[in-house]
Amino acid sequence: MAQFRAKKLDLGCFINIKNIRDHTKRKVFEQHEPERQALRYLIRNTSLPQRTRAQAQLQLTQMHCYTRPTQIKNRCIMGGKGRGVMRDFRMARFQFRMNALAGRLPGVKKASW
Amino acid sequence: MAVPRSRIVDLMKAQCRIFSTIFNPERLRMGNKILRQRLKGPALAAYYPRRVATIKDLQKLYPNYETYDEDEEDRLEHIQIQKSRGKGAPKKKKSAAESKKFGKKKR
Repeated sequence: MAQFRAKKLDLGCFINIKNIRDHTKRKVFEQHEPERQALRYLIRNTSLPQRTRAQAQLQLTQMHCYTRPTQIKNRCIMGGKGRGVMRDFRMARFQFRMNALAGRLPGVKKASW
Repeated sequence: MAVPRSRIVDLMKAQCRIFSTIFNPERLRMGNKILRQRLKGPALAAYYPRRVATIKDLQKLYPNYETYDEDEEDRLEHIQIQKSRGKGAPKKKKSAAESKKFGKKKR
């Protein structure tokens, strides 16, 4: 982690070690995504020799875990909560409720039908 | 009547040339679907909002400039009002013994 973490914090929302880690993972994934996709292509191409495919497989498993997209989790930007986060608002359910009742979310009002 | 396979393959070749797709008549697994996927790195990395410039940064960069920080002034005024009413924060005790003398009640 230490090799990837930015020297100067560039998060504007709620600061939490979990948020910092998630942010770092996202940046690292963005940097290494083309390499990862290339390795995946090499593995899946059946017209290449077995040896290159095996080497590509090995290299993919040896990449740092921060380059994997499955490690990234959408966290709440106001509270840093990992569960109950809605994609459209990037907030967890309680923060969403607080902000919606205060009128800070455009177009969100109490439902009744 | 049955169409010879070579005609169909020629048709596929022409289709691929016109629509700029990959030509693969034997349906071999080339891994082209990985190449077709669009990269989602930038979209994911833009999830958390970046840090923007604040008045504190301005004050640090230009210490001789006069800046009026609204929130800071509001906070100081609020403290002043509380103090004038006699509701300000209590004095900080110097050691643990002093804080125990008045606060703790025996249960």
